[in-house]
Amino acid sequence: MKRTSIRDFLYEPPGPKTRRRTTAATTVAVVLLAILLFLIIRQFYISGQLSSRYWAFFGKLSTWRFLWEGLMTTVQAALTGSGISFILGFLLMRGKVRDGRILKAICTALIEFTRGVPTLLFIYFFFLVVPQTGWQLNAFWKITLPCAISACGVVAEALRSGVNAVPRGQTEAALSLGLGKTRLFYKIVFPQAVRYVIPSLIAELVIVLKDTTFAYIVSCADLMQNAKVLISNYDALLSIYLVVAVIYILINYALNRLSDVWAKKAERQNGAERTQA
Amino acid sequence: MGISELLEKYGDRYLQALLMTWRLTVISFSLALLIGIVITVLRVCPIKPLRGFGDFYVQIFRNIPGAALLILLVYALPYLKITLSYYACVLIATVLIPSSFCSEHLMSGMNTIDPGQIEAARALGLTFLQMIRRIVIPQALRSSVLPMTNLLVADMLTTSLASQVPLRPMELTGLVSYINTHATGGVMAFVISAALYCLTALVIGRAGSWIDRKVRIIR
Repeated sequence: MKRTSIRDFLYEPPGPKTRRRTTAATTVAVVLLAILLFLIIRQFYISGQLSSRYWAFFGKLSTWRFLWEGLMTTVQAALTGSGISFILGFLLMRGKVRDGRILKAICTALIEFTRGVPTLLFIYFFFLVVPQTGWQLNAFWKITLPCAISACGVVAEALRSGVNAVPRGQTEAALSLGLGKTRLFYKIVFPQAVRYVIPSLIAELVIVLKDTTFAYIVSCADLMQNAKVLISNYDALLSIYLVVAVIYILINYALNRLSDVWAKKAERQNGAERTQA
Repeated sequence: MGISELLEKYGDRYLQALLMTWRLTVISFSLALLIGIVITVLRVCPIKPLRGFGDFYVQIFRNIPGAALLILLVYALPYLKITLSYYACVLIATVLIPSSFCSEHLMSGMNTIDPGQIEAARALGLTFLQMIRRIVIPQALRSSVLPMTNLLVADMLTTSLASQVPLRPMELTGLVSYINTHATGGVMAFVISAALYCLTALVIGRAGSWIDRKVRIIR
């Protein structure tokens, strides 16, 4: 029997007594949640935050265009950062599985280092120290590079687990066909490994996207920074930050859903391949 | 500045900052674990609205960037006539976000439990809460030690959010930006903080895999 989620088998079909009790509890829960919602809205109301002057400008196109511009910078930074972290992570992963002992130690240390240090520390490093060395970066790279570096260790580990998940038979078959080590890796192992780890790569994209919210530190005009400009224009802090937070949540939610869907699809395909074999 | 000069001048502060980071991490992770368990129970309970609430909670705090949440807590809440101390804001942000991930890990930990066990529990006449407390949660916790270890490390990294508000005493990230804006601490100031973070993460990782070996359920 195929099991889906623990939610589906924690209880059996309820009898009349349980059903009554569940209905009662559901009613109480609905009332409690309604009270919670009411209290929140009431707090907005009594502090005057529902007044139209805090929300009317969301009806203007210029507001959304400005937020959209910021969002595009955010998306660009997140995609570029993820791209760079993928390349760095790939190199670290290749270094870690090599035979050379020194290279292996260095790559392992770098992976642990980037995984154990907060992104903010990297951002402050690029913000405060890098300019002292005379290396002038613009605001975009000051946020993108630290986010990429901070993510590359996790990407390396994800890729490594993907490579390990490729069945040994694939390698053996390729070797017996006379493929060299390099072609074996790039033609057979790596493409399959990437397929396995796409959900973790998407999860990593979400993390990079979240990290780019710190762009205000280096004054890069991302979504958060543009929100700040709007706040000083309209003198409306709460409503704008709330809307921006919702935008972030929706994007990340969509990405996480995408990752789930991919994982489910891959699982189904693997299941189908196994039953065919 | 060289490392000896830095340690001489700021050594005490580094120690304080390390203790602050540890304190924030321990407190927020314990609370996150607790709330994560409660939310997970809500998400599997038979009462539909509570399930929905649990799912909603997890999706919100799993997807909101830490900076956005902290800014809302620090700067937006006062507009609703709710003013919290900086420490409280940082703590709330570093509890809410990991608690949602904690619930996700527990959910996948639960999915490793054999349905037969649930049936056995029901056959023995256990109520829903008894079953959750004695059968489901213990096993979910035991089989999610490694993800929880990673979560603890992530939580420690999240406490660096505290550097975005004027929190005293400072934690490790705040201290570095303080040193570098008041003097040219240079690369070394960063290296010390980074090393302290990494060592902590390393210890947590080791402890986690040791606990995992002890408690993992071999199926």
